[in-house]
Amino acid sequence: MVTLTIDGRTVEVPEGTTVLRAAEKAGIKIPTLCDHPHLQPFGGCRVCVVEVEGLRTLQPSCTLPVSQNMVVRTNTPKVLAARKFVLTLIFSDRNHFCPYCQVSGGDCELQNTALDMGMTHWDYQPAWKPYPVDASHPNLVIDHNRCILCRRCVRACGELVGNYTLGIEERGANSMLIADTGVPFGESTCISCGTCSQVCPTGAIIDRRSAYQGLEKKTESTRTVCVQCSVGCGVEVLTRDNRMVRILGDWDATVNGGVICKLGRFDPLDDTRERVKTPMVRKDGKLQPASWDEALEVIAKTLKAHQGKGIAALVSPRLPAEAMTAFKSLFKEGLHAEMVTSMNGSGMASRLAAEAGVHENTLDVLHCADCVVTVGLDLYSDHQVLGFFIKRRLNTSTALVVMDSRENRFAEYARIALKPAAGKEAFALQALAAAIREGHNGTSGKFGELASKAGLSEAEIAKVADLIRKSGTTVFVYGEGLDENGAKALLEVVQQAGDNTKLVSAKGAANSLFAGQLGLSNSFNPKGCPTVFVALGDDEPSNALIQQLEGTEFLAVAASHVSRLTAMADVVLPVEMWAEQEGTYINLEGRVQKAHAALRPTEWVRSSTEAIMALGKLLDVPVSTDWQKAFQNHPSPVTLIGEPA
Amino acid sequence: MAKPKIASDWMAGCAGCHMSLLDIDERILQIAELVDIRATPITDLKEPDESGVDVGILEGGINNTANEEVAHKMRKRCKILVALGDCAVFGGVPAMRNFFKLDEVLKRAYIETESTDEEGKIPDDPELAKMTKVRAVHEVVPVDVFVPGCPPDPDVIFYVLSELAQGRIPELKDEKLHWH
Ligand code: SF4
Ligand code: SF4
Ligand code: SF4
Ligand code: SF4
Ligand code: FES
Repeated sequence: MVTLTIDGRTVEVPEGTTVLRAAEKAGIKIPTLCDHPHLQPFGGCRVCVVEVEGLRTLQPSCTLPVSQNMVVRTNTPKVLAARKFVLTLIFSDRNHFCPYCQVSGGDCELQNTALDMGMTHWDYQPAWKPYPVDASHPNLVIDHNRCILCRRCVRACGELVGNYTLGIEERGANSMLIADTGVPFGESTCISCGTCSQVCPTGAIIDRRSAYQGLEKKTESTRTVCVQCSVGCGVEVLTRDNRMVRILGDWDATVNGGVICKLGRFDPLDDTRERVKTPMVRKDGKLQPASWDEALEVIAKTLKAHQGKGIAALVSPRLPAEAMTAFKSLFKEGLHAEMVTSMNGSGMASRLAAEAGVHENTLDVLHCADCVVTVGLDLYSDHQVLGFFIKRRLNTSTALVVMDSRENRFAEYARIALKPAAGKEAFALQALAAAIREGHNGTSGKFGELASKAGLSEAEIAKVADLIRKSGTTVFVYGEGLDENGAKALLEVVQQAGDNTKLVSAKGAANSLFAGQLGLSNSFNPKGCPTVFVALGDDEPSNALIQQLEGTEFLAVAASHVSRLTAMADVVLPVEMWAEQEGTYINLEGRVQKAHAALRPTEWVRSSTEAIMALGKLLDVPVSTDWQKAFQNHPSPVTLIGEPA
Repeated sequence: MAKPKIASDWMAGCAGCHMSLLDIDERILQIAELVDIRATPITDLKEPDESGVDVGILEGGINNTANEEVAHKMRKRCKILVALGDCAVFGGVPAMRNFFKLDEVLKRAYIETESTDEEGKIPDDPELAKMTKVRAVHEVVPVDVFVPGCPPDPDVIFYVLSELAQGRIPELKDEKLHWH
């Protein structure tokens, strides 16, 4: 521990702490611009300068490590004058005429800093040089006129997302923020995660959908979880007047630590699907508005009449655990329906893991892995935040291996990319297991044979095996692209390689793990079932599902949006979409998280859980929402984390 | 003691700051009790007294030789000069034209606008003031009090006026300090 004095206050902090963080700890606020608590210290803006006894010049507190008995002053006239001067220089560069800026009036850290310092004006006019506005990107706009070159975006894109799209070209007054080698932002390698816009302190990177809709500080914020995939990132949903304005990554969320992907940040705001506004019942061949009572009555009557004659029920694994539990309890235990399952394509691999007694790890293993092998999973397009975790480590010694029989865009980041023949992943993994076991000093040929069965060369497999053997910790991340044999082979590799090998499974939809625990992972086959109930929530029905359900005698759908499926239905129940729901989600590593409603639905809309419970009541079937109990039904590949008491 | 004399004028602005001043509503009577309101663009007397005033208030930036004269005259005749609003403090909206060349701006305004008839013509009467770059007031004459805002809030203007009326220099900070 190091003891120092800041503005007369004594502070004790661990060695290596910066003066800025030490001051924070002492409750002393030092203004900053280029600094960001989730990024490495940079020391570019000089707004945070302080006086240090014994040092001739002012020092940037954000990069200055503390030392024993240091005496720091943060608000001497010299410091204040320097700070004001630094701000004046920043303001008089480019265009900071605030009234027409997206973030003016409370959302701009530059403006707020100046106002906090009581600056009524600055002394120099700018050079009146117009800078370009790059609006080529589908989600973001870069207004270079507002850029202060703090490089937070550059650092966030590199350090957090591992994408390294943004950079600075030239030096000094000619410095410019660029994407890749200076291509239009929309034609760059950007993957639209929006992290750069979330860290930009000014109005320089703004997002198209939510810009100019009023200030962030005048919105209401709800912390909840993204339900677009099983990673379950923490998000902050900003709303005004019951309208979604913006979605931010939650910096405090354990899972993602602030980063989210395009699916979580932008896509929900682009959802233009029409809502189901009232219950509907088909009369004279046409869907017509009805009351909840009437709609439920029709469903209940039909279910009762068709009991034992073929009822199929399908639930979306995007729904909260409570809704899925109620669903299973009604249709499986209550009505003994012939087919009860979820649209969960990815329960199989984890079930096998649980059965084989292989424990899947939590996501923190990715933050310290020396080697990561992804199998049957494209982290460029799915579970993207897992991809960020991996990519941000690739400039250390961490190595990435991508094994996929399909086209895989994540392979472009890989040190070794293996493309086994379709359906032959099992051989590739068996070869790998053998190669790890045997070594490859030219004596044994078993893994070579297996490799060639997989359509790979012996050398390729040997290289990966070598990498794994030399790595401290290897993490296998597997996904839906792996068939049953492949999954079994992977489990063998993991079991054989021992403690240094970890397993993470990307499980598809938000509550896929839970769907698997409920035993709702079988593929859906409504054949021979004249009555079908689909608890769709805000999911989008697949073409395959629509085809399967064409010609169903009686189809009831609980959905939040109008779709081809609701158009086919005989009864439609209007239910909440993700941002309106309260409920439990269990992410791929077993973390129990609560979704909180950021929006109020209109009066006709109910939660999926309520809709199912109401049906149960009409049918006189007890319906349970006790998801904890339901979770224990099957051996689990993960341990629940953070289960609320 | 005689009441302090106040005069105001506007230059390259939109008159919004003076409108915001009028927005202090009935409180203008309190101000009138404390000060002697002399020349303003919205009263009959247009020029600050030759014998001088205590407080001069300028709205707008300086975008031509006529504005320069107004600013110099006000500065010469007042003890305390107030720059009122973002245009006076920073250059504001009119200063956006500084990002273009003057003749481009004139061509756009007098010839190319959608509502201009065929004979669009850039005014060239020698009597007209000569256009310059748009400048904040303090770039042309020294300013004592800066009141940013586009326009400044009526409450802020009332505070500034009542402080000045009572012989104090207003201090803008916290919720009184806005740039938009
Ligand atoms: S980025 Fe900030 S300081 Fe610059 S114009 Fe916008 S609000 Fe003003
Ligand atoms: S959106 Fe994401 S990937 Fe694109 S530049 Fe910003 S941080 Fe980088
Ligand atoms: S765009 Fe924003 S975050 Fe990036 S350098 Fe400019 S001001 Fe900083
Ligand atoms: S990784 Fe998944 S949970 Fe996270 S933001 Fe993207 S879609 Fe949402
Ligand atoms: S915050 Fe320290 S130099 Fe920018």
